[in-house]
Amino acid sequence: MLEVGNAQAPICIRLATSFAGKIASELGAKVVKLEPFSGDPVRQLPPILPSGPKADRSALFKFLNAGKTMLSMPSDAAEARRALETLLDARVDGVLFEEDDQLRTFLAECPLAQVEVVGWPAGMATGARLSEFTALALGGLLDMIGDPDRKPLRLGGHQASYSAGLSVFTALMALLAERDAGRHPPPARVSLIETVMWVNWKAIAGIDDVGKPPSRQGDQSEFQVVRCLDGWIAVVFSVTEFEKLRNLVNSPDLHQQKFATREGRLKHIRELYQRLEPWFATRTRAEVYDEAQRRGVPLGPVCSPADLANDPQNLARGFIVPLRDASIKGARVPRLPVLWNSHI
Amino acid sequence: MNKNPEPLRNGCTVRPLANIRVVDFGQLTAGANTSAMLADLGAEVIKIESASFMDLFRSMGSNRGRGPGWWNRSPQFRFTNRNKLGVSLDAKIPEGRRILQDLVATADVVVENFRRGVLERLGLDYASMAARNPRIIFASISSQGETGPYRLHTSFGSTLEAMGGVAALTGYDGDKPVISGPHVNYPDQVASLFATGMIIAAIRVARRSGKGALLDISQRELTSFLIGEEILAASVDVERAELPRRANADEAMVLQDCFLASDGRWIALTIENSIDVERCRAIVGGDGDLGGRVAVWCAVHPASEIVDVLRDAGLAVAPVRDGASLIRERQFAGQTLVWRESGEIVKGRPYGFDGAQLKINRDAPDLGQHTREVLCEVLGLDEPAIQRLAELGVTRSEPIEQ
Repeated sequence: MLEVGNAQAPICIRLATSFAGKIASELGAKVVKLEPFSGDPVRQLPPILPSGPKADRSALFKFLNAGKTMLSMPSDAAEARRALETLLDARVDGVLFEEDDQLRTFLAECPLAQVEVVGWPAGMATGARLSEFTALALGGLLDMIGDPDRKPLRLGGHQASYSAGLSVFTALMALLAERDAGRHPPPARVSLIETVMWVNWKAIAGIDDVGKPPSRQGDQSEFQVVRCLDGWIAVVFSVTEFEKLRNLVNSPDLHQQKFATREGRLKHIRELYQRLEPWFATRTRAEVYDEAQRRGVPLGPVCSPADLANDPQNLARGFIVPLRDASIKGARVPRLPVLWNSHI
Repeated sequence: MNKNPEPLRNGCTVRPLANIRVVDFGQLTAGANTSAMLADLGAEVIKIESASFMDLFRSMGSNRGRGPGWWNRSPQFRFTNRNKLGVSLDAKIPEGRRILQDLVATADVVVENFRRGVLERLGLDYASMAARNPRIIFASISSQGETGPYRLHTSFGSTLEAMGGVAALTGYDGDKPVISGPHVNYPDQVASLFATGMIIAAIRVARRSGKGALLDISQRELTSFLIGEEILAASVDVERAELPRRANADEAMVLQDCFLASDGRWIALTIENSIDVERCRAIVGGDGDLGGRVAVWCAVHPASEIVDVLRDAGLAVAPVRDGASLIRERQFAGQTLVWRESGEIVKGRPYGFDGAQLKINRDAPDLGQHTREVLCEVLGLDEPAIQRLAELGVTRSEPIEQ
């Protein structure tokens, strides 16, 4: 696989391409990452690690690119093109590239699986600047997160770019399967804005359902996050689980008629949570989770990235593994989130 | 059996799964949407439900209980089940269970996201089915995986957003963690994207080797994988163990936030570097806190003007669009939505091939709409056998109690 960076492309696109290349690499593909002569700017992006070679401390770059073969492209455009042609003459099955008219034209006749990662939907002005944050806004996902009377919120991490990276991976697999069948696969195109919209489909189905956009519900939502002794718990329950939640908390207040139906609970949601919160406040995350699971209530303790390394389930499944880059002592990352016939 | 009424390549130039049969036990988004994406790529997808256990999306909408056939009118179900055949077979009845086992034995792929243990009790688990069909690919999309102390735990997407680490990084300044909630359930959406790619990878291997696979996909692990750089940073930097939440700020950006326009709409703005700062200050004025200046300036300008002015200055700016504008401004939809002739909308796909729009060859099926067709053409059952299943209540097409 070739992963071809475009120095002019926004960072949010680079993250999507790199994420897809990472998955391919973890599945066993030899991924060659072609960096612009100036270097991939992701090398400078946070989180920045406290030690290691000064110009090589980006945890983001390490996570996305460990295990890939890195090649720096010549600064001269003609030389860079010749270098790319040489690489394509070798055994290459697929190419991932970023918003590049010239490269798209150049690759048009190559019988490779090729996915172009772009920001905007086809036919829209590509001159306008795009960030991952504005892609979340245009795809409607910002509107869905946070409290209704406060500003919209982004999800933590790089969710727009990484979900686009998952789309790139899936499109790439489809093209490789098409190629296996002896057909010349057409080029695929993945847009960040489109992927965010696709992820956010319930905002559209919700209008069909109740006639208005669901938008962010935060402290008006059935699902809320409440304080416990050592952190936070996400309170999550369906209609059929409310009785189990009520039995878990065991407060007579919860048996009031106004909480008997979903409609009633939504109407009095603040009051409902005021009656739930004291029970959580006196218990740890582990105590709440164990008791909730025993009763079949799908509550979720909020785990920090640091918590995940010592989580019993993650330990049992060998989910957090050493980074495939020996330059950072003790560095650990999540493995690919699938076990294939029980193997990593 | 592929009996799609449209020519195979009409409207979709890539159908690498045209000879693949998928038995779809998928529920809600994570499972059902994975199978829908396989159907988009040409697979014959047979969705299995029963009168006593329908896809939960059928009964989640406001149509629930309203008028005859209400279970066939859920928008959420329609969005995630296009291009599938619908079969009703009750596995709680022994004859239904036996028929299901026969049907699964004919499949190339099974997609399921039941609670762990359910398929084992029905004799439909991977080990049982692989004994009859070694080429079968079993995509088990579960809460926390097939193994480990939490394997039987129950969850929704929002549970896993908390347990997977994304919620810890989401929230207002210094405030509590935030989850995306029931109208997004983010981990469910990304699970279907990843699972589809993994299933195709396994199909490619099976075609070469003749060997199937059990794909054990944990939604919680996927959620954590999506914040991998933070897990890496936390593993070597104790100062990142407890990160404060910082709303929309990004460590890599000078300024990033939402600002309220004079017409009540929110604007998203990213200021990446010192050049952006200069461009922005030239418009909003002032020397002090840039975020404060932008907020004051936005408060006296309508959203459309803010976007035009800042965009023309070369900044990354956008209106925060809601569901209504996602439908209204069709140019943004690209491949992601498909408008039916009836005016109804269904979900498209998050990628495009050569500009071709996704063709919807079948609307989402009514409960049991294709039961007879599948029993006859896939399993070769004759009319008396089909009639007997109906008399036993195996193939009912109206819900019993949901």
